[in-house]
Amino acid sequence: MEATTYNYKVVRQFAIMTVVWGIVGMLVGVLLAAQLIWPDLTFGIEWLSYGRLRPLHTNAVIFAFGGSAMFAVSYYIVQRTCQVRLWAEKLAAFTFWGWTLVIVLAAVTLPLGYTSSKEYAELEWPIDILITVVWVSYALVFFGTILKRKTKHIYVSNWFFGAYILVIAILHLVNSAELPVTMTKSYSAYAGVQDAMVQWWYGHNAVGFFLTTAFLGMMYYFIPKQAGRPIYSYRLSVVHFWSLNFIYMWAGPHHLQYTALPDWAQSLGMVFSLMLLAPSWGGMMNGIMTLSGAWHKLRTDPILKFMVTALSFYGMSTFEGPMMSIKTVNALSHYTEWTIGHVHSGALGWVAMITVGSMYYLIPRLFGRESMFSTKLIEWHFWLSTIGVVLYIAALWIAGVAQGLMWRAANADGTLTYSFAQVLNTMYPFYGIRLLGGTMFFAGMLIMAYNVWQTTRQGRVVNDAPIPQAVHA
Amino acid sequence: MDSGTVSGIVTVIFIVVFIGIVWWAFSKGNKQRFDDAGKLPFDEDDTEAKQGDKQ
Repeated sequence: MEATTYNYKVVRQFAIMTVVWGIVGMLVGVLLAAQLIWPDLTFGIEWLSYGRLRPLHTNAVIFAFGGSAMFAVSYYIVQRTCQVRLWAEKLAAFTFWGWTLVIVLAAVTLPLGYTSSKEYAELEWPIDILITVVWVSYALVFFGTILKRKTKHIYVSNWFFGAYILVIAILHLVNSAELPVTMTKSYSAYAGVQDAMVQWWYGHNAVGFFLTTAFLGMMYYFIPKQAGRPIYSYRLSVVHFWSLNFIYMWAGPHHLQYTALPDWAQSLGMVFSLMLLAPSWGGMMNGIMTLSGAWHKLRTDPILKFMVTALSFYGMSTFEGPMMSIKTVNALSHYTEWTIGHVHSGALGWVAMITVGSMYYLIPRLFGRESMFSTKLIEWHFWLSTIGVVLYIAALWIAGVAQGLMWRAANADGTLTYSFAQVLNTMYPFYGIRLLGGTMFFAGMLIMAYNVWQTTRQGRVVNDAPIPQAVHA
Repeated sequence: MDSGTVSGIVTVIFIVVFIGIVWWAFSKGNKQRFDDAGKLPFDEDDTEAKQGDKQ
């Protein structure tokens, strides 16, 4: 018999875990920011040392928080825009428990010091295999649902999700190619500059396809829904899709400017990074212009505020990124705090804020409510996060530029003007402001958790959201 | 063929592909299908908010 309802169970599980992992990941981030000011904060316990917690923070916010959010929204959107129930629901349930197991294993192994030492791919080989199995299941469920769709067209969000699922699979398989030695130790299949290039081809496309393409799919559904009008230009979104995905693939070498990587590859990475500005801003404009004629909603609707502010940060960081890829700018910015500021302008300003806005739309609908428990608390969350991000990135801009200038300053006889300790000393006030900004963003997440708790407590679990039948005929 | 020629050929191919995509996206014949696709998020009834059941 044909299903007449959508599967909301797996969406609900991932949506709740998005909030949980967001809090965990950001708490570790706050702890790390504090460790930079007070290095002895964790009493020298090796499991809590900076070097072990840092990959835990990045993995938790990218793959646990961002990943759970993507599973939730992609399962929700693919069902609702294809107007069919998920294909292979047991497999979908497996992706939830499998992905959660990956996260728990990461939370155990990284503090214990097991690492492949590849940035954003630190997990050791048995976990890599589990990730592959979960990801292939995800692809089967997603594309299987697309295949059995009842609608004629495939909505643009699903195109973005499809590209993200496919590319992440390729990136993970290529970059994680490794030779196991023991259960907890492996060596990369690559060496030298090839290893560096594979790593940053992976690393940049993790940003490009995990944190950008996937979340643009989220934006293309939830902004029109929350604003109550279709996307400004669907045809621009088609051009956006193809040009963004095509160009992103080649921008990785900009992480290796002035290294042993051949010069032509460095320049190629820079040129493709500069070109990325066009599709990025095309997509941003498309999202923002969706509100034309409905600007007044921004005054009263904090969910829309989250989404539009997210797009503004997306525009800012996708302008900043190409600029930082220019070799002469990179000579100043690379290895400084500026890079960390840029990453957080994208990760907090864009990824986290579009996710939070979308979750505030999604969660009440999964629990049979018209809206969240408190709109006022969403407003509070919005302002805490916005001011928090601005403090965070402004502090690290100043810190990064100062750091870059102090590192390169030389005396007449060629010796360095500033010692390492002098530069570090200059950083302290900015580390303080960054800790404050990060803490504010984290506090906003706690408010969200309370709001979600109250919403679910008073709501009803929706297991029978009906699939519209009229269009089936 | 030196690397400069290869670069030139690749650049031309990329430009042609890009123009092709823009032409395909904005051609009159495809207007209706893209307009229809853009309305997909709204081809649904939002009644589920009232139809939840308690677990």
